Amino acid sequence: MAGPPNKRQKRDDKQEGQMPQKKFYRQRAHANPFSDHDLTYPETPEAMNWGDHYPSYVATVPAAVPKDDPVATEDGNDYGVPRMTKQVEVADIGCGFGGLLFALAPKMPETLILGLEIRTSVTEFVQEKAKALRVQHSPESVPGGYQNVSCIRANTMKFLPNFFAKAQLSKIFLCFPDPHFKARKHKARIVSTTLNSEYAFVVRPGGRVYTITDVEDLHRWMVEHFEAHPSFERVEGEELEGDEVLKVMTTETEEGKKVERNGGTKYVAVFTRLEDPPWP
Amino acid sequence: MTHPFQCIATVQLPGRDEYLAAACGPKVFLVNAGKGEIASEWSASSLTTATSNGNDDAAGTSERPAKKQKTSNAASHAPNIIKLTVSLSQQYIVAVTDDKVIHVFEITGHGELKALSQRCMPKRPCAIQVLPDNATIICADKFGDVYSLPLLPSDAALTQNASPGAEHVDVMKTDEATFKPSATNLTVHTERNRKALEAQMQQKNFSAKKEPLKFEHKLLLGHVSMLTDVVFATRQVDGKQRSHIITADRDEHIRISRAPPQSHVIEGYCLGHSEFVSKLCLIPGTDILVSGGGDSWLGVWDWPSFKLRRKFDIRAAVLDTIRQDAEVSGADKTDTIKKADKDVVVSGLWTAPFANAKGKQETALLVACERRPSLLIIPISRLMLKKDESMTQTRVGHSVLDVTCIGDSVVLSLDTRSAGPGRLQPMKLFQSSGNDKGAVDYERDEEMDAKLKCLTKSSTDAHADDKALDELLYGVANLRKRRGWGDDAGGTQVDPSDTKRDDNGTEAMDVEDDLTVHKP
Ligand SMILES: C[S@@+](CC[C@H](N)C(=O)[O-])C[C@H]1O[C@@H](n2cnc3c(N)ncnc32)[C@H](O)[C@@H]1O
Repeated sequence: MAGPPNKRQKRDDKQEGQMPQKKFYRQRAHANPFSDHDLTYPETPEAMNWGDHYPSYVATVPAAVPKDDPVATEDGNDYGVPRMTKQVEVADIGCGFGGLLFALAPKMPETLILGLEIRTSVTEFVQEKAKALRVQHSPESVPGGYQNVSCIRANTMKFLPNFFAKAQLSKIFLCFPDPHFKARKHKARIVSTTLNSEYAFVVRPGGRVYTITDVEDLHRWMVEHFEAHPSFERVEGEELEGDEVLKVMTTETEEGKKVERNGGTKYVAVFTRLEDPPWP
Repeated sequence: MTHPFQCIATVQLPGRDEYLAAACGPKVFLVNAGKGEIASEWSASSLTTATSNGNDDAAGTSERPAKKQKTSNAASHAPNIIKLTVSLSQQYIVAVTDDKVIHVFEITGHGELKALSQRCMPKRPCAIQVLPDNATIICADKFGDVYSLPLLPSDAALTQNASPGAEHVDVMKTDEATFKPSATNLTVHTERNRKALEAQMQQKNFSAKKEPLKFEHKLLLGHVSMLTDVVFATRQVDGKQRSHIITADRDEHIRISRAPPQSHVIEGYCLGHSEFVSKLCLIPGTDILVSGGGDSWLGVWDWPSFKLRRKFDIRAAVLDTIRQDAEVSGADKTDTIKKADKDVVVSGLWTAPFANAKGKQETALLVACERRPSLLIIPISRLMLKKDESMTQTRVGHSVLDVTCIGDSVVLSLDTRSAGPGRLQPMKLFQSSGNDKGAVDYERDEEMDAKLKCLTKSSTDAHADDKALDELLYGVANLRKRRGWGDDAGGTQVDPSDTKRDDNGTEAMDVEDDLTVHKP
């Protein structure tokens, strides 16, 4: 069982601005992406309250609902969520404890970065850490002051389009995804021909998908499936020069550090989102 | 007990007689509706049944609980028909049986059913359609994938499938079949992955190779969710036809993809449902898509712009029938009504033409809710309005299983299992001349009723018992999610993603290979 009361108690004991301790947030490693977890997710991306996650980016003038909105009904299509000055553009899917997120945030201070994680306590850890870092660092001391980074609990294999509109993202990271070695579990993999269409939907043309793993087979699987997808093309060699986030990804995730300590190999691949073909 | 007709469809060749195709258990009947006689009959047999997956070795062990055994038991009976559809050309009938087999029939000049092919899909199909090209079948399955198959398999493929019972086919994605999991302790560097590998090594079938499907097929698209319906939608843009595949899933999504060869492009989503979507219905001659499911309203969408035009409330209408039922049975009303929200389960959406007062043809939407003894009739002109909720509610006394239009008659298939006659109820729709001028009225179509009498004789019965019938006819309510396992936000309670329960979920997933609803 996750979070027995004393663990929870200890989590709550910390002072504002104090960093959360990982040991109080550990959770069993594997979650089934197919079962109906008690997930919360917005009906549609417009219903998502991003203000809770990026309070510094809430627009000061509240959005007015157009009176003559032809779609507005009694139930309303005004979801009552604050308007934001920026949208999330970078997503770390299966972000774990968020190492990559916190390394990226100061390097892209103008960009909203979001981790998506299916495990509840791991998500909470990342959220707490973001809050603590915001208290500890002002935008003057660290670019962006960690105001541009947050994390939500989500099963991305099912609910990505509930959070992001078409072409909203410029980057997706898939770092050390669960390998699902077993042959019959391939539909459980975070990369598949059919799921890649959903990544293509949320990533804008010219945007990139980054993958990294220490399991060679999984690397080959991800490369094969992205290359086989007409919306993606692998980026290699020179074209990767100057892509600073690539370096950050290779060194900053928790799993990546473990692999490094154990002297393992890290397999990296980058793909770009192509334009949709013209209608036939 | 009389076995109801679980699916009905119309075959309407121009210049020829009209036929009604009706499925009763494992049988398909084709009735000449002009002559009022049964033209032909076909029955699925367990001989053609392919086992759900190639490796049955573990059947009955703890790894393969109830569901698996049920499938094997079912196989000893003739498989039931679960879907029935007719090609636009009116030349072919496609039927799906609950052993996952797609059957294609040709309808010959005299209304004979000529079985052309039987193809066993890897997962249970939940929606099927013959595309307007009269050459392609699209099939959506319980695992979330949509495949296309040629309506008529090539000769080579046919011979391979010729021997009955030899279709032991499983996953069809050839790319997956070539993936050899060769991870060893050397290639796994983290504790997490090592544990995962160990756990997965211990399971049987670790490297079980999948036999790819022996017939031609393409994977068009997929959701990581159970699919419930699929429709093919075409519209003109700049003088050119653009075709789309619209899919609905149990996780409240309606997805609009391009049709093949560009089915990898998702154009958008119609989002707004807060419960599962079970049915989609395109309104002919418009860009309107109607969706229904576990919400107490119908979604009226302008699908090319993905916009929800309105939510059309049907709660009151359904409540009405519940209240009346409660009065009859003397049950506690408040209690039944409290449950009502959960009881709104849209199980069928159809369109039917009717003549308005000026004799012009209009369209009505017909709505069936699971286990509710009535049919809602809503003129499309009302569906498009912003506020008007008025509709006609026909109390047909039994739940409506399927609807088809034949000539100017609307035929309802009813679950009259205990009442006996009246399994098919033909009626005529017309514009109301009463107070509510816009509404649609109906009357029984005695003439068609007489023609269909041949079908409702006991000779068309099939083996049935209540439980098996309920399972065959009423699966939609099971799509509803169980919510509230624990207070996640609080985090102090059990996290469902992190408990034994979840392990069971994973097992079930392996056993059934399906995105199954885990029943409480
Ligand atoms: C091996 S960890 C990698 C964590 C992190 N990316 C890193 O490199 O350190 C994989 C993570 O993906 C998460 N995950 C698995 N399936 C997921 C899904 N469907 N949606 C969101 N997160 C998922 C797991 O809970 C786990 O934290």
